[in-house]
Amino acid sequence: MASDPVQAGASEGRRRRTVHLLWLRAVDGLGALGTIMIALLMAMICSDVFARNITGGSLPLVSELGALTLVMIVYLQLGTTVRNNRLARTEFFLALMENRSPRTAAFFSGLWELAGAAVCGAIAWSTYGILLKDIEHREFIGVTVVMTMQTWPFRVLILVGVAVAAIQFVVLAVRSFLKASGAGEHRP
Amino acid sequence: MTGVEIGAACIVVLVVLIMIGMPIGIGMIVVSFAGVTLIRNDVVAIRMIGSVANDSLEEYLFAVVPLFVLMGLLVTISGVGKDTFDLFERLLRRVRAGLGVATVFANAVFASITGISIASASVFSRVAVPEMTRHGYSRRFSTGVVAGSSVLGMLIPPSLLMIIYAVLAEESVGRMFLAGVGPGLLLSLLFTVTILILATWRRSSVFAGEVDELAVEPQSVFDSAKKGIPIVVLVTLVLGGLYGGFFNPTEAGAVGALGALVIALLRRSLNLSRLWDLLVETGQVTVSVLFLIMAATFFSRMLAMSGLPNALAQTLLAGSIGPYGFLLLFLVLVIVMGFLIDSISIMLILLPIALPVATEAGFDLIWFGVLTVVAVEIGLLTPPFGLSVYTIKAALDDPDLKISDIFLGAMPFVFAMMVGLAIIVIFPPIATWLARL
Repeated sequence: MASDPVQAGASEGRRRRTVHLLWLRAVDGLGALGTIMIALLMAMICSDVFARNITGGSLPLVSELGALTLVMIVYLQLGTTVRNNRLARTEFFLALMENRSPRTAAFFSGLWELAGAAVCGAIAWSTYGILLKDIEHREFIGVTVVMTMQTWPFRVLILVGVAVAAIQFVVLAVRSFLKASGAGEHRP
Repeated sequence: MTGVEIGAACIVVLVVLIMIGMPIGIGMIVVSFAGVTLIRNDVVAIRMIGSVANDSLEEYLFAVVPLFVLMGLLVTISGVGKDTFDLFERLLRRVRAGLGVATVFANAVFASITGISIASASVFSRVAVPEMTRHGYSRRFSTGVVAGSSVLGMLIPPSLLMIIYAVLAEESVGRMFLAGVGPGLLLSLLFTVTILILATWRRSSVFAGEVDELAVEPQSVFDSAKKGIPIVVLVTLVLGGLYGGFFNPTEAGAVGALGALVIALLRRSLNLSRLWDLLVETGQVTVSVLFLIMAATFFSRMLAMSGLPNALAQTLLAGSIGPYGFLLLFLVLVIVMGFLIDSISIMLILLPIALPVATEAGFDLIWFGVLTVVAVEIGLLTPPFGLSVYTIKAALDDPDLKISDIFLGAMPFVFAMMVGLAIIVIFPPIATWLARL
């Protein structure tokens, strides 16, 4: 470690930081999009309620669109949720390990993050197949004649969200395994 | 291996994985994937994971989750909780341990506009605990009362847990909400009795020092009653709209969230950055809940494929333990799991296995749901991971306050909940009468 040329190390570090920053922005951006959709969902459903109870006519597509919006909210924010460690889990084993041997705890975290990456990767892979089918069959929601909407743009967003979550899991896993191998100990 | 054996092995592996810290949703998907691969093959498994991930959440009803969470967070910051507490404080100032009882009642009322217990716990730890300690109540008692009565938040409608049960058991959300009213009132009553017993026979556990007479504030009864207006408006809007047939549960959530937003804006307790923070928090809670629901859908499909729930129903019910033996076993299991796992995960893990058995046993599924929710909520108060207790600790942010003190303070209320559970088992109409009306 100590024999690394300082110059090369510094520029490598800067490049890595830039990539990392871009990545953070991307994950946060998707999360923000999901956050805005929560407000949209509320506005959409409320307009439907008012339209129905006051003017007597229900708005078209709200229930289908509401359901799809919800799915969007979940997948767009999955990446940030993973990064903030907000997926439900039991903490006691890892907390116990953390006290005895932080590196073993990091190793286990890494394992779970790999499993997460595999799960999200499998979902992404399978969703890709569904996306192709959606495009091929021109799947849509709504009632023909009244109002319809193609489903593939939603599917693309789901795919992007799951893929980002999978990559986020990989990033976390790499970090955990580095910590487990003791690589992080020299840094302040 | 037969399907039943594979199903059973999956459950064992899942429990082990969860215990050693794998995220619960990820664990459910991993074992379900392995289970389906073993029962059928990997092509079926990969197809199922895709269809579950894309279709299982595409339900209009699930939109209720972010909406009720948002509503809960909005009323948390809007000060409505404090007003409710002030009102009951005034009404109950002559009662023994009146502030404790006021906390319970205020929680019961607040529960009718929030569907998440953490909202109740964080509001009342900031509002009621300082007031009680100022008037000579012990810290252990005041935090314990807040923790105990926070469980009412998810029992009295609206309630996130009831929604999740309704989804899993294919019951109507409206009926499940109604089923929570009776048990919610029963628990409020039991909590009040608990407080009075403690204040009468175990004075030292309730009061830390000299109890000072509550100063009568100069405001009139009319003024305090006026404070109740926002909450009455919200309750009327949400529950009135729901049961008046103006809208369905999802829409009740949206209208409630909008109502809470308007109230928060009118009281100037909200600016743009704060609203954004609440929306972000709403998103994170939503993702963690719905990701679990998605994973649980896969899990329950895998179990159904394995044939385990049916086999279990036949063995358990035909054997010597019978329906009520099964019920006891189930409730004990829920409470024990509550020591370690969060409420929603417990329901999502156990119900796919238990519901077919309960159906086979001929139980009223609404009653079974209420029992499940009450038992699951005990886990909010029990060490080492009682969520309500941790919420209170975080909300008070006081280094002198020990977690163990809050757990000890909440203990009498855990017993009260057990008593409540037993009463509901013996008298099912407490839960079902209103719902089946």
